[in-house]
Amino acid sequence: MTDTRSPLLAGTLDLLILKTLSLGTMHGYGIAQHIRRLSKEALRVEEGSLYPALQRAQVKGWIASESKRSPTGRPARYYKITPAGRRQLAVEEKTFHRSVAATTLVLEGDAS
Amino acid sequence: MNVREIIGRVLAWRRREELEHDLAADLEAHVEFLARDLEHDGMSRDDALAAARRQVGNVTSYREHSRDYWGFPVLEAVRQDVGYALRGLRRSPGFTATVILTLGLGIGANAAMFAVIDRLMFRPHTYMRDPGTAHRVYLQTTYQGRTSANIVFPYLRYLDLTRASGTVAQFAAISEWRFAVGTGEASRVRKVAGVSASLFDFFDAPPVRGRYFVAAEDSTPVGAMVAVISHAMWVGEFNSADVTGRSLKVGMVDYTIIGVAPPEFVSTVVGMPPDVFVPITTIPANHGLWSQQSYLVNYNWDWTEVLVRRKPGVSAAAVSAELTGAYIRSRAAARALNPRVLPDSLVHPRAIAGPIKQAAGPEAGSESRVLLWVTGVAVIVLLIACANVANLMFVRVIRRRREITVRLALGVSRHRLVAQFVTEALVLALLGCVAGVFVAQWGGAAIRQLLLPQGSAFNLATDWRTLGVALACTVAAAVLTVVGPALVATRTDLAATLKAGAREGTYQRSRMRTGLLVLQGALSVALLVGAGLFIRSFHNARSVPLGYDARPVLEVVVDFRGFKMDSARATDERRKLLAVAQSLPGVAYATRINSRLFGTNTTDLRVPGVDSVERLGRFNFQMVSPDYFRVMQTPILRGRAITADDRGGTPLVAVVSDAMGRALWPGKDPLGQCINVRFTGRANSPACTTVVGIAENTAQQNLVDDPRFMYYLSVEQFFPAELSTLFVRMSTPDAAAQVEGLRRALTRVMPGDGFVVVRPLQVVVDDQSRSWRLGASLFIAFGGLALLVAVVGLYGVVSYNVAQQMHDLGVRIALGARSSDLLGLVMWQALRVAVSGVAIGLALPLVAARWVQPLLFKQSATDPATYAVVGAAMILAALAASAIPARRAMRADPNVALRSD
Repeated sequence: MTDTRSPLLAGTLDLLILKTLSLGTMHGYGIAQHIRRLSKEALRVEEGSLYPALQRAQVKGWIASESKRSPTGRPARYYKITPAGRRQLAVEEKTFHRSVAATTLVLEGDAS
Repeated sequence: MNVREIIGRVLAWRRREELEHDLAADLEAHVEFLARDLEHDGMSRDDALAAARRQVGNVTSYREHSRDYWGFPVLEAVRQDVGYALRGLRRSPGFTATVILTLGLGIGANAAMFAVIDRLMFRPHTYMRDPGTAHRVYLQTTYQGRTSANIVFPYLRYLDLTRASGTVAQFAAISEWRFAVGTGEASRVRKVAGVSASLFDFFDAPPVRGRYFVAAEDSTPVGAMVAVISHAMWVGEFNSADVTGRSLKVGMVDYTIIGVAPPEFVSTVVGMPPDVFVPITTIPANHGLWSQQSYLVNYNWDWTEVLVRRKPGVSAAAVSAELTGAYIRSRAAARALNPRVLPDSLVHPRAIAGPIKQAAGPEAGSESRVLLWVTGVAVIVLLIACANVANLMFVRVIRRRREITVRLALGVSRHRLVAQFVTEALVLALLGCVAGVFVAQWGGAAIRQLLLPQGSAFNLATDWRTLGVALACTVAAAVLTVVGPALVATRTDLAATLKAGAREGTYQRSRMRTGLLVLQGALSVALLVGAGLFIRSFHNARSVPLGYDARPVLEVVVDFRGFKMDSARATDERRKLLAVAQSLPGVAYATRINSRLFGTNTTDLRVPGVDSVERLGRFNFQMVSPDYFRVMQTPILRGRAITADDRGGTPLVAVVSDAMGRALWPGKDPLGQCINVRFTGRANSPACTTVVGIAENTAQQNLVDDPRFMYYLSVEQFFPAELSTLFVRMSTPDAAAQVEGLRRALTRVMPGDGFVVVRPLQVVVDDQSRSWRLGASLFIAFGGLALLVAVVGLYGVVSYNVAQQMHDLGVRIALGARSSDLLGLVMWQALRVAVSGVAIGLALPLVAARWVQPLLFKQSATDPATYAVVGAAMILAALAASAIPARRAMRADPNVALRSD
């Protein structure tokens, strides 16, 4: 069985976390699941990267967190995006699209 | 890193334990959720949990990664290094204590000296507005090759200078006095500042109560009798009550208090802070009618200091130039009144807009120069301390060589290792700095008492400038002490050291340490030579023949406080006072005098047959009553002294000093010659005052270059109703102990609110040799300190070397060396260092001799005896320091040496 999962593109973890949280508050596991689901299991976020990234985003003021009970009744830490986070998301999205477009141009470009 | 992130990191750092806990909870939840999903997919509960845990992995590493965002990783590393350094230092308390003490003494010496020179020379006065544009006016003349700068002028000259308004935005005048303030029991002698109203505009110091006086109240000829009191006096004397409108007697005049200055406001006064500020034009009223009438007419009373503020964009040189012009015109005006004012071509008058602090100005005096030298000495002491500490660190590094090598081999980066060394040095230096501040605050009390005027506030804890300098010294010390050892430590050849035993690779690297020892020895020797030269100067100054014996003499300054008397009553009161003094038990002789010691006066002197007396030099006169020469024990060489018969109505007589007689009548007998003495305000004297006696030369102007031209006149023949100072000779030498008794006895017979101030005359004489005493005491203190540090350093290194060589020495004994050979071997090592140090150390002062010479008194800066004594002392000290380790070397045991391999 071949592993069809892809490693994350460098620098995209923040973008994925912010995008995910822009849809609503979520706990860490939820974020990982969400990314996996939306990428059709292609992107898998390592726990070892996810949690330090969440800490970093908190320190930078992009996301905030609070402790709540999950629907199953288990207490968990829920993260939500802040206005600064939304601004950062816009910036990163733009950068990402530009970068992908540019990379695509190079890959597909026939030196005509 | 933007501001938000910095705040975020700080907040995270503060709650890092909580965050760690949260993170752990998060991961626990994650495992839980994952396990539940896996269970959903059909796993058993236990398998699901195990799988989830496996997937999430090592919780510690999450924490490690997250820590990078909680707080500041760089600071964290620093904190670790500091912790490491502190642990290391705690393990070797002897080393740590020695280093802290050594650096503490070095840093403390510098902090103490800086605190003093900063106060005397550099720090602007409290509250001064824009200190960079404010200056003091110095008036300089160069006469017969001697340049001198004055800061006190006649008030009339101040008015003349204010015409230089092209470059100067504002002028102010100030004069300092000591007057009795208050009445009855509460009256005390206080510092009083007579100031122009404009002086307050030089400061941003609004009064805490009432107001300052204005220009209209500082008017000529007599200003308004209003006074502003100091905050200290307001609190101490008036309990912070509402004092405006109250009356205050200052000297002999009643003033009305109109305001209270803010705390610590001293205007530009150095030393004892003034308690009362009054309009400067009211000061002459406190000096009697004569002063009041003449201060706006004559140029013969120097009492006003002048401050100026430059106009914006004008240089100090431009101000000096304009003031010089005004000064020359002022001299012309003075010459119109008194033709004997010397022509400008002879005295080269020049005005200088210089530093407000006199000690930093052109007439700083030898004391300031000595101070700067001593500050240099303090820096050298710090250098010696650093050399010593560097040496100790070398030894420490060498001892830890194997540990360091192992760490390097294990992959610790050299960069990180250096960081740890630097941290250790910084920690040590900072501890030394703390010790230094203590040394400067408490140990420096003696220095300050010697150097700062009485009453100067001093608290290092709030003195940011001095603390800053102490910190700068600390960083410099850390850098100086760490560079060498750190280089040695990190250049270690891994393989060689790991292979070698503990003993090898230790002894050969001592060349750098020997160099440091030689340097310490050399610097100590140089300082001790300085100490020797100053001690001899001081001794020379003390043994200058003065021509009088001041030791049992008390000086009595009499203040009648404006008690209204006609001339007959004034004469009577003064005669009565003298008679009372003469009749007191314990008093041998008493005399009235005109000029205090080293406060000489001149007047218009003409001598028939001598063209211009002024050009021969300065001739000082003294007014005396009959017992003067007995009081001072000044011998009359020929002729007679002034006697009770030389009173009003008899022919005028004078006694001249031997030097004056020789200068005025070379080759002739001064006895019977005629001099013509004139005083302003007194009807022209008869043409002739006859010389009836020749007295021994006396040093009354200064100790150094006084030509000793003195002549003595009879009080009773010239000013029987004036002269309010007495010299009283006690019959026992403990004059100082009798000050209070004499003061009480004389005050009792004073009319009105009058009182007397008594002090030993020897104090005045001692003041004259102050700069050499200062140099001697400070050089001795610092030189001794340096010697101590150097000897301790030598002892430490020789001991260490002996310990390292024990094996070697044991082998030598086994081969038949006698223990005296070993003694010689060790002593020889120490001696070599000492001799090199002495050689270099003696060369240093020889090089500096040219600059030191002017500070010395009748003492060659290259005096062989001083150099020889210091050199010998250093070598003896070195031998003493190596004697103990050398004895240890003699006991080297061949058995131990041979068995250990």
